[in-house]
Amino acid sequence: MANTRDIRNRIKSVKNTAQITRAMQLVAASKMKRAQDLAVKGQTYADRLLATLASIAEQLGEEETVAHPYLEKREVKRRGILLVTTDRGLCGPLNSNLFREIVRFPEEPPVRWFNIGRKGRQYLVRTKRDLQADFTISDKAGYGEVRPILTAMDEQFRAGEIDTIEILYPRFVNTLNQEPRLTPLVPLDNLREFLAEREGEFGQLPSDERQMIFEPGAAEVLSEVLDLYIRKSLYQRILDAKASEHSARMVAMKAATDNANNLVEDLTLEYNKARQAAITQEILEISAATFFNES
Amino acid sequence: MQLSIITPEATAYEGEADSVVLTTRDGEIGILPGHLPLTTLVEAGNVTVTRAGKSEDLAVDRGFAEVSGDEIRILTEAAVGVGEIDLEAVERAEERARRYIEEAEGQPHADPYELEQAHGSLRFALVQRLAKGRKRR
Repeated sequence: MANTRDIRNRIKSVKNTAQITRAMQLVAASKMKRAQDLAVKGQTYADRLLATLASIAEQLGEEETVAHPYLEKREVKRRGILLVTTDRGLCGPLNSNLFREIVRFPEEPPVRWFNIGRKGRQYLVRTKRDLQADFTISDKAGYGEVRPILTAMDEQFRAGEIDTIEILYPRFVNTLNQEPRLTPLVPLDNLREFLAEREGEFGQLPSDERQMIFEPGAAEVLSEVLDLYIRKSLYQRILDAKASEHSARMVAMKAATDNANNLVEDLTLEYNKARQAAITQEILEISAATFFNES
Repeated sequence: MQLSIITPEATAYEGEADSVVLTTRDGEIGILPGHLPLTTLVEAGNVTVTRAGKSEDLAVDRGFAEVSGDEIRILTEAAVGVGEIDLEAVERAEERARRYIEEAEGQPHADPYELEQAHGSLRFALVQRLAKGRKRR
């Protein structure tokens, strides 16, 4: 049977671990709250952009089309995917689920990767994939931090280096559940279909019977709004990924704390047993000694 | 009229206004209640909101504005109320951006994305300073 002192040391160290994981759980919980708030607060912007797109599309009439790189149909020679991972681990299977998705990707057409997060960079480099650019963003995930990423992808798309803009990220389902999700954003083959699909998201268009004026022109405004919308869509998903990260970490750390506490219980039981055994042993030895002395 | 300024991060401003002056791509325009429905591209610059004889300045980045019914919505990638502008912080940001651009332009291998970001923050810093300066006068 194990030595009582060893068990005591072990209990102490497990308790320390539980304390650390508990602290991490609390930190992740508060960060998760912040990330969720941010995602919710930014939603109005996306909804308004969509509503504006819809009202412009309505004005343009059925036949008119707008020349915009995002609306062009072109052969996909190389996909551009933004991978959103975390900088730090201890967040359960969040990143490995994403990597499992990547393994399942078809070989053709080739993919050019853009990456956020240290874990994703390590993976892409290790598996020797075409990593074009790597970015780090803080937990605050301000729009200013994300802007260069969006610009980089947009430039490559316009230059014909990549033919799609997609994002692979852990979608936030609920606190306990995040699923890897690949969302293609560009090209939008058909603006009207795209808007029809999202009709529920922006609600009723503002009712104003008077004709809307566009300055400098409907097509210019549409292309500007479309740019903003795609950037915002990417940003919104990055915020979502941040919320996922923190909730996954919170859950993982909660599980770790619970496990550590269970372990402490088990060890305490073992410790008491060992202590009892030692005492019994000692009494046995003393009574045996007395017995021999008397006889 | 109801004015709201919406950025990707949050709704930066929301309130009643008697008149709103903003800088569009084609020049400065003033919007009064009953304006025709209008969607226009907004340049980085000043937005002046007048309410009950008092006016308030806001600095916004590029974006667009939508006037419909009795509402004005300005969607922009960054906005800040002039009262909140911390001139020192703005100057520091401006200085940083300027230095970065100067350094980067000397060498061919500068990261174009960082450069773009620096140009963006320089532009916004200038706008903020101008807006603040106007308030002081």
